[in-house]
Amino acid sequence: MKLTTLFTKATATSDGVQSRRSFLQQLGLGGLLASLAGFTYQSVRSLVPNVLYEPPQKFKIGSPAMLPEGVTFLEDKRLYVFKEAQTYHAISASCTHLGCTVKHTKLNQAKTVELNGEKKTINFEFHCPCHGSKYYADGTNYAGPAPRPLRCYKLEMSPDDGQLIVDMTNEVEQSYRLTV
Amino acid sequence: MQFVDTTKQLWNKLIWSWNPKSDKESGDAIVKNLLLHWFPNKITKGSLAWQYSLWLGTISFVLFVILTITGMVLMFLYVPSVERAYSSVKDLEFVIAFGSLLRASHRIAAHLMVATVFLHMIRVFLTGAYKNGQSVGSNRPLNWIIGVVLLLCTLLLSFTGYLLPWDQLAYWAITVGTNIASSAPLVGEKIRFFLLGGTVIDQGALIRFYVLHVFFLPVIVLLAFSWHMWRIRKDGGLAVADHEALSQTAEDVAPIKSKTYSLLGVTGGSTVHVQTSMVNEEKNSVPSAPHLVRRIVAVSIATLVVVVVLAALFPAPLEEPANPSVTPNPAKAPWYFLWLQEIVTDTTIPLGAFTINGALIGGILLPGLLIVLALWWPYRDKSGIETVGVWFAPARNRQNTIFIAICLLIIAFTIIGTFLRGPYWNFYWPWETWPTMPVKF
Repeated sequence: MKLTTLFTKATATSDGVQSRRSFLQQLGLGGLLASLAGFTYQSVRSLVPNVLYEPPQKFKIGSPAMLPEGVTFLEDKRLYVFKEAQTYHAISASCTHLGCTVKHTKLNQAKTVELNGEKKTINFEFHCPCHGSKYYADGTNYAGPAPRPLRCYKLEMSPDDGQLIVDMTNEVEQSYRLTV
Repeated sequence: MQFVDTTKQLWNKLIWSWNPKSDKESGDAIVKNLLLHWFPNKITKGSLAWQYSLWLGTISFVLFVILTITGMVLMFLYVPSVERAYSSVKDLEFVIAFGSLLRASHRIAAHLMVATVFLHMIRVFLTGAYKNGQSVGSNRPLNWIIGVVLLLCTLLLSFTGYLLPWDQLAYWAITVGTNIASSAPLVGEKIRFFLLGGTVIDQGALIRFYVLHVFFLPVIVLLAFSWHMWRIRKDGGLAVADHEALSQTAEDVAPIKSKTYSLLGVTGGSTVHVQTSMVNEEKNSVPSAPHLVRRIVAVSIATLVVVVVLAALFPAPLEEPANPSVTPNPAKAPWYFLWLQEIVTDTTIPLGAFTINGALIGGILLPGLLIVLALWWPYRDKSGIETVGVWFAPARNRQNTIFIAICLLIIAFTIIGTFLRGPYWNFYWPWETWPTMPVKF
């Protein structure tokens, strides 16, 4: 049989019934294509990991009393944790533009800005070294290419040992504060 | 004496096809030598001219060969694991004999290849060489598309190689690059996850980039390159040959003696038709062996010399080990992507309640648009056949101007990004000193 006949249109017999040969040809061709598709799928699918051996997104960071007043930078988590008297909140250090680590930058002169409708005096900001995005102290973006404010994450108290827990899977409002 | 003769014979066996003694041997050289079989038997003088093609395609391929050879040696010395990648590159720099030169050669050749492939594209455009001439069966627009694929592969090869040293430079270039991918609508996060084999840049990402760099992409380049070469033959050679054919006037040639079959038998005489175009005749073309071969060897040697000299002058940098918590300031992508980095910085646009991330515009939409434009252009170009294979053909002035303008913009943005951007991506003139930045938070 010529190879070309494999791909010619299925011919119907004179009475309009599909011939056995053309049916088997189509079946074979379909099976070939289906197995190729399956083979491609399993090759690509095996490259999508089912289990990630990555650091957990929810973790303890020690007891609240141990944190110093002001800001603490958790290097390997790329997270800023703030303690202001009895309240705690966490701001991600990952720039919302392209994910560089923003720097906590002290201002030489405190400046007054409007945050969420109220005037506040801030003495530090976050600056991104990659493309020059700038954020106010609460994470609001005001300059550069950053499209949205820095992410804020939920803080909890661990019921068993009283440590602070950061939940980086749980994004919260900028105004969120954990009071201890 | 016996030994000398045998050596001489062996040597002649090796080189005879490169140094033919007659036209017959010259033709045989092309047919019988595996390395030469993809060349035409004869080649027009215009195709050989330095000032027409500038030999940029040849240089690109020679650089690819140099990269393959140095890369193969580097593969024996580099370990693609996050624990050992950095120290194995450090060993290359400070412990292994000639390791530093080897790595510098690989790096310089890669940078040069990005540049020459880009310049090759400019040359092809400005000479109208993606246009079909008169030869039957030519499909130069298709070869232009293969060329665009090769350019993209070259950029991807360079980019995947960037991560492998696992230093600060590598880590942050890949952070920025993969986050650009994730800014694509809907599928962005999935693409990034697939590229990195996870959500963070770690072992999964390193091994993926490694395999792409040393096997997957080079194989694609080899296949596409072979197709690229094969198509040149199918398209009737370089475009300049079509131009030469066009500017030929048919000349009368002395009658050629022939035999004519008549009713009475074979009679002597001359052919009836003796007017012929002279393109393929002696005076316009030369045998590929040795003329083309000689030039290719010369270009190859020159390229190799330039690479080694530049490698000796500019050693490859190696920064501190990758540290996810400290972003260097400024953090820059590889130079050939800095025009894009410059654009992603300037294109975040607020649209009412929405804000379009600059990464989407500058990192995906704009490059995507440029690629589509490049693929579509040959089919849009309706200029006449007289513009094929000519530098700056007057009939193509307008499109040449647009193309040059786009290229100049890209080059200008690249220069700004490379030389005029300092800490926090602020603008600094070259004579201004950058403020000193605290090294650690």
